[in-house]
Amino acid sequence: MKKHHWSWSAIYLTFVFIILYAPIVYLVVFSFSSGKTMERYRGFSLQHYADLFADSRMITIVINTLLVAFLASLLATIIGTLGALAIKDARRPWKNSLLSLNNVLMVSPDVIIGASFLIFFTMLGVRLGFVSVLLSHVAFCIPIVVLMVLPKLNELSPTLVDAAYDLGATRWQALTRVILPAIAPGILAGYFMAFTYSLDDFAVTFFVTGNGFSTLSVEIYSRARQGIDLEINALSTLMFIASLLLVIGYYIISKHGGRRHRIVVVREGDAQ
Amino acid sequence: MRQKAMFIVPYALWIVLFVVAPLVLILYQSFFDINGHATLGNYANYLTSSVYLKMTLNSVWYALLITLVTLVISYPTAYVLNHLPNKQFWLLLVILPTWINLLLKTYAFIGLFSRTGTINQFLQFTGLGSHQLLFTDASFMFVAAYIEIPFMVLPIFNSLAEINPSLINASYDLGATQWQTFRKVIWPLSMPGVKAGIQAVFIPSLSLFMITRLIGGNRVITLGTAIEEHFLTTQNWGMGSTIGVVLIIAMFIIMFMTGDKKQKGGRS
Amino acid sequence: MMIGETPMAKNIMEFHHVSKSYDDNVVLRDISFTIEAGKFYTLLGPSGSGKTTILRLIAGFDQATEGDIYFDGNRINDVPANRRQVNTVFQDYALFPHMNVAENVAFGLQIKGVAKKQIDQRVKNALHLVQLDGYGDREITAMSGGQRQRVAIARAIANEPKVLLLDEALSALDHKLRVQMQTELRQLQRQLGITFIFVTHDQEEALAMSDQIMIINDGKIQQSGTPVDIYDEPLNHFVADFIGESNIIPGVMKEDYLVAINGQDFECVDAGMRPDEKVEVVIRPEDLDITTVEKGKLIGTVATQLFRGVDYQITVIDQRNHQWKINSIHKTQVGAQVGISFDPEDIHVMRYNESEEDFDARLDGYEEED
Repeated sequence: MKKHHWSWSAIYLTFVFIILYAPIVYLVVFSFSSGKTMERYRGFSLQHYADLFADSRMITIVINTLLVAFLASLLATIIGTLGALAIKDARRPWKNSLLSLNNVLMVSPDVIIGASFLIFFTMLGVRLGFVSVLLSHVAFCIPIVVLMVLPKLNELSPTLVDAAYDLGATRWQALTRVILPAIAPGILAGYFMAFTYSLDDFAVTFFVTGNGFSTLSVEIYSRARQGIDLEINALSTLMFIASLLLVIGYYIISKHGGRRHRIVVVREGDAQ
Repeated sequence: MRQKAMFIVPYALWIVLFVVAPLVLILYQSFFDINGHATLGNYANYLTSSVYLKMTLNSVWYALLITLVTLVISYPTAYVLNHLPNKQFWLLLVILPTWINLLLKTYAFIGLFSRTGTINQFLQFTGLGSHQLLFTDASFMFVAAYIEIPFMVLPIFNSLAEINPSLINASYDLGATQWQTFRKVIWPLSMPGVKAGIQAVFIPSLSLFMITRLIGGNRVITLGTAIEEHFLTTQNWGMGSTIGVVLIIAMFIIMFMTGDKKQKGGRS
Repeated sequence: MMIGETPMAKNIMEFHHVSKSYDDNVVLRDISFTIEAGKFYTLLGPSGSGKTTILRLIAGFDQATEGDIYFDGNRINDVPANRRQVNTVFQDYALFPHMNVAENVAFGLQIKGVAKKQIDQRVKNALHLVQLDGYGDREITAMSGGQRQRVAIARAIANEPKVLLLDEALSALDHKLRVQMQTELRQLQRQLGITFIFVTHDQEEALAMSDQIMIINDGKIQQSGTPVDIYDEPLNHFVADFIGESNIIPGVMKEDYLVAINGQDFECVDAGMRPDEKVEVVIRPEDLDITTVEKGKLIGTVATQLFRGVDYQITVIDQRNHQWKINSIHKTQVGAQVGISFDPEDIHVMRYNESEEDFDARLDGYEEED
């Protein structure tokens, strides 16, 4: 019976995975087609990759996108971690209000964030472009970092910090030698999540970017409306491989990553 | 103490500038007309115009359908995943597609669904004939659901994984069948995940505008599309803000209904 | 600090009228006591009694609301935890999960800026003292509960504190390991010659390990003294009930050395009360013997009997329907009519609401008379 049950679920799961990966496989396959459209596969070719690397506008945009993601997630991780520390130490009524405010941007629809930031930047007179996009990305990445770091802080035993003081550590030493290393997995996960959120964002960027500055999402949006270009397939393939490598790396690190990962496990009190 | 104060400064600044101020500004803006005069006209316009009301209802209806479809696909997926050895790895495989830029995936569907695209070629090959797939309600909903599936699977998976296995054994021990155990133990215990998933899917579905344009071909106008149009095309920020306020209210209603006890896998 | 530097019988720690409250919740009420250097102290009390709060005040994690705390002659109320010569073994061990065993033990020394070579030596010594030689490179997760306990102790003593605080340090261990650690802790304390202050709710543990016990309840010290004193001469109902098993019966002091319980007069060894003063009488179950009806001072029926390995736990209901707990190595029969016998010195009489000072004065009084 168990066996039977499993085979049905296997079929179902296979079906779901086919749907999930079909468009990605589709993009990848046609990136190697020598044809000009995604209609019929016309034999292997690396032509679109050559086109992509020759397209300096596209390359610039990719670099811009990565730069924004890198900087935004870095800044968001710093501010968000400080925020999580502040929330952790805050007293009851404050704590709840801070948490609610933190989650506003998490649940707000992208269009609302984009539109309200557009009004905000216009009123302040901030020129729409790199700065406004970066600030927006930092802004919507901060709550994710807080949400990733806060649980790690909460599961940190309060006696751990007491122990640090007891052994002579100052506040600063307790923070840098005990608290931060112990919550490092949360901070890392926060940075990771912030990075992907930033890379993936379309709507907010679409609202707050000006003429001179574009990210990948916005660029693809405008190109897709004009018609299909297989150069984008080539780009998709490269990005997919990059994220695949990142995920595999992350998986290996978390599986065999020695100490860092065990911090998560130690609380569950495994080895007895 | 001083250190603590320094911690909070950048974070507090962020709350004031990027959380509170924009929300206040969008409310403020909604009371101005296109020429910058203070007015209640936007709200009056919204509440009396059948176009806007119909669009709102439409938007809610489509968001509901998308959420339902996503839930129906995602719950069994999360459930089956939870019973697999190496389940974290399989979960990772579900999440992996979210790492591909949203626009790239949408772009792939344009190719797949196009008049001469792969699906139509397949349909013709099987003798079902070629159909208009792109720019239909069905394709719009399919792509929207496709995008949202991982965000629904994740919270449900987490809440299923949190269920203590001895509760399920206890249920069998007390004579419940597999189905009864599911209905009376597993389903209620996974409700927090389902609610979090609904929250994570419904609100973004209300405000989609990119997919409505690229896949739905402007047939479906959602609240999101309307806001984008008012802000970026007609430059009527007042009316756009008014619809934004409506969207925010809708958001609070959803959050209230699904209970914001636990937030898992939420997204912006 | 070096071992043996402090002369014995010097007060290392003093509490003067210390109170502590969290918001409106009073946890400690006007507590005063002294701790002599080089002894093993136990703070014993039920959960919520305030014993852990005393420990946290000593360690510096909490500040006293009122009163003064002296350490080695200096007032330390305002000295933060990281500058006190006191180290703590935490109940949940509080080992840093991102460091291995040696890194944990070295933490305090690194903070102090001790030279690398010396750190290595002291870590080695500390691990040796807790019998964990060679475990330095292990991850905390690879250690069992008992081993983690030892790491926590090693981490604290590596800093050579003058006072070592142990907060319910053995409560997470199983019974056998706990008994073994009791012996080891006692040995360790003698070896190091420093003051140990041990917090527990387990009275057996307290009796087994301590030089001095302080019994805490309801934010007050109920009684302090050596384990033998406290067991033999409980000051009040709470102490008599909390420490060991006991029969506690209301009685009336007829005159010196004569107490009436259950309507019968018995010889006893207590004196110094007012005539006809209402008192409570404690008789330990192991001081009661089952005899024949003829020889018994009290007569009753055996109600229950439990075999406990060492002895039998018997309850006898006397003619006035009072239930007596008796621990006996001899077996009897449920339902049998038996006599209960005891000696005058087995009776311990307690006055209601007598303070520790009054009690000591009264004891001195009639001891001199003898």
